[in-house]
Amino acid sequence: MSIALRGIGKQFGEFAAVKNIDLDVPTGALIALLGPSGCGKTTLLRIIAGLETPDEGHVLFDGRDATLWPIRDRKVGFVFQHYALFRHMSVFENVSFGLKVKPRRARPPAAEIRNKVNSLLELVQLSWAGDRYPAQLSGGQRQRVALARALAVDPDVLLLDEPFGALDSQVRHELRRWLRRLHDELHFTSIFVTHDQQEAIEVADTIVVLNRGRIEQFGVPSEVYDLPTSAFVHRFLGQVNELPVQVRGDRAYLGPIEISPASALGSGTGGNIALIRPHEIEIGAASAGWPAVVVAVRVIGPIVRLELCAEGQPANEPLEAEISRERYEGERFSVGQKVGLRFRRWQVYPTGGAAAALRGAAA
Amino acid sequence: MAAAEARAPRPLPALGRPILIAVALLFLGLFLVLPLLAVFVQALAKGVTAYAAAIMDPTAWAAVKLTLLVAAIAVPFNLVFGVAAAWAIAKFEFRGKSTLITLIDLPFAVSPVIAGLIFILLFGSHGWFGGYLQIHHIRVVFAVPGIVLATIFVTFPFIARELIPVMQAQGKDDEETALSLGATGWQTFWRVTLPNIRWGLMYGVLLCNARAMGEFGAVSVVSGHIRGLTNTMPLHVEILYNEYNYTAAFAVASLLALLALLTLAGKSFLEWRQPDLRHAARQARDRTRREIT
Repeated sequence: MSIALRGIGKQFGEFAAVKNIDLDVPTGALIALLGPSGCGKTTLLRIIAGLETPDEGHVLFDGRDATLWPIRDRKVGFVFQHYALFRHMSVFENVSFGLKVKPRRARPPAAEIRNKVNSLLELVQLSWAGDRYPAQLSGGQRQRVALARALAVDPDVLLLDEPFGALDSQVRHELRRWLRRLHDELHFTSIFVTHDQQEAIEVADTIVVLNRGRIEQFGVPSEVYDLPTSAFVHRFLGQVNELPVQVRGDRAYLGPIEISPASALGSGTGGNIALIRPHEIEIGAASAGWPAVVVAVRVIGPIVRLELCAEGQPANEPLEAEISRERYEGERFSVGQKVGLRFRRWQVYPTGGAAAALRGAAA
Repeated sequence: MAAAEARAPRPLPALGRPILIAVALLFLGLFLVLPLLAVFVQALAKGVTAYAAAIMDPTAWAAVKLTLLVAAIAVPFNLVFGVAAAWAIAKFEFRGKSTLITLIDLPFAVSPVIAGLIFILLFGSHGWFGGYLQIHHIRVVFAVPGIVLATIFVTFPFIARELIPVMQAQGKDDEETALSLGATGWQTFWRVTLPNIRWGLMYGVLLCNARAMGEFGAVSVVSGHIRGLTNTMPLHVEILYNEYNYTAAFAVASLLALLALLTLAGKSFLEWRQPDLRHAARQARDRTRREIT
């Protein structure tokens, strides 16, 4: 089922949770609503589910206006961060709940319910746990039960509110991959909310970045990561180094490195700022580039993170660079070593106005 | 001051614990066990036959029946009210919510005698609705309806107060999940909400019932003390006592005490069945207080 939002707005008292949201979710898509806490992502999800009514705008399901449909008529499966399993029911009873509450004429016979629940428990790899109670399961297992329960009623849309937020990182990683596979097998439309950019990039086909109740950017993960349209998105998706852009004469510089003619900069009121990701910093011999000193080295599995204090920069704001483990094994940068920096890519944003970003890359 | 509080409590000297326990037991013995024993001793002072005769007395029997009737009306009424109020407060946001929470506590704050007087003022022959009721020959005050009303008023916080923290602690995720799975509101209530609150609800009912049967002040004002007609057990005990009929007074009192003991036993049973219930409720209640203040 395709979902479309048209001009959705919702206020809580004085606080505008979402403002004028337009969004199209095609059938079979797996979309992440990504943003910091308070950005309105959960409110938006709850509006789609029918758990909140928007103050303005329309929710369209397959082109039909579903804004005022009650949740039980929407055929959505909703999964909460804290699972919301019925604690007085066994795993089997939890999963069969949606089938058992159907009106008598629509309710499948008991044997059919049993088969369906068993096959769902198999799908979530919990066939052994039918008689257990939620309190006897781990967090990851509970969330899989919640997913099976939501899938039992054959929803057209699966909505997940921070589904892995309460799990430890190992289990999170496993469940993300599992959700992705499940989605590819079953072809329902899924929307999930997360504040974890990595989760959004790993799982989703499309990422919707929200900030203060508005959509900042919308696109496939690589596009949103590589071509952010605002400093907010750039900062939110991954690590960044921030450097002020200096204008000398008619040229613009980052430290001693010339990046563009001054006329190419936006005319923001507060000057310009360049954002550079750690892997976009090139570390070379001290004789070339921006002179800098290595102040810290940290090996993190396959990558190595270096903190670099560039000449003329405040000492308490070192730049962060990442290089591969292989390169580090070859060159052995050490604390105190003098190096020269270059930037492979950068992106310039005006700090005051809302003018467009200026992208640059070293030739 | 802050430093003193932060320091770990010093372990009690070896004698401290037995002394504290002895003091607590002595206190309980003096103020609880002894009076309770006295009730039964007095009741049985003239033998089992006299005890049985006192209880089988028609007016005593009428008082027992009236008390049970009043409780049987007031408790279900407050059950419905308590669940509805707790549901509204715990699961919805609306204007005047904190006022409602405060109002629910009103009967705790108001003296029961005043609670009784309120109903005299409203339904007495010179009260606001007195004229209307007289014309239509409806008796409220000095009759069973007045006693029921006064009892409901005095006992209505018990169930709501017990449920609000439990329901607040549970949030509304479970209900929303049930709805998204296609359940109707009614199905959601019976299959999800009610099982989640059952222990708190039973506990509230027990407390409410104990108070409904034992209430004296408010009922005394509206009852009119008509023997065999509008006397509940506590009122009957008082009348017998004032007539120097000690054996009968204590016999009926022993029945009341027995009902109270049964209630306590029920409460202990619930706590034993659900050890984390009190804990969860207390936590949620503290949280509510912080939010309100």
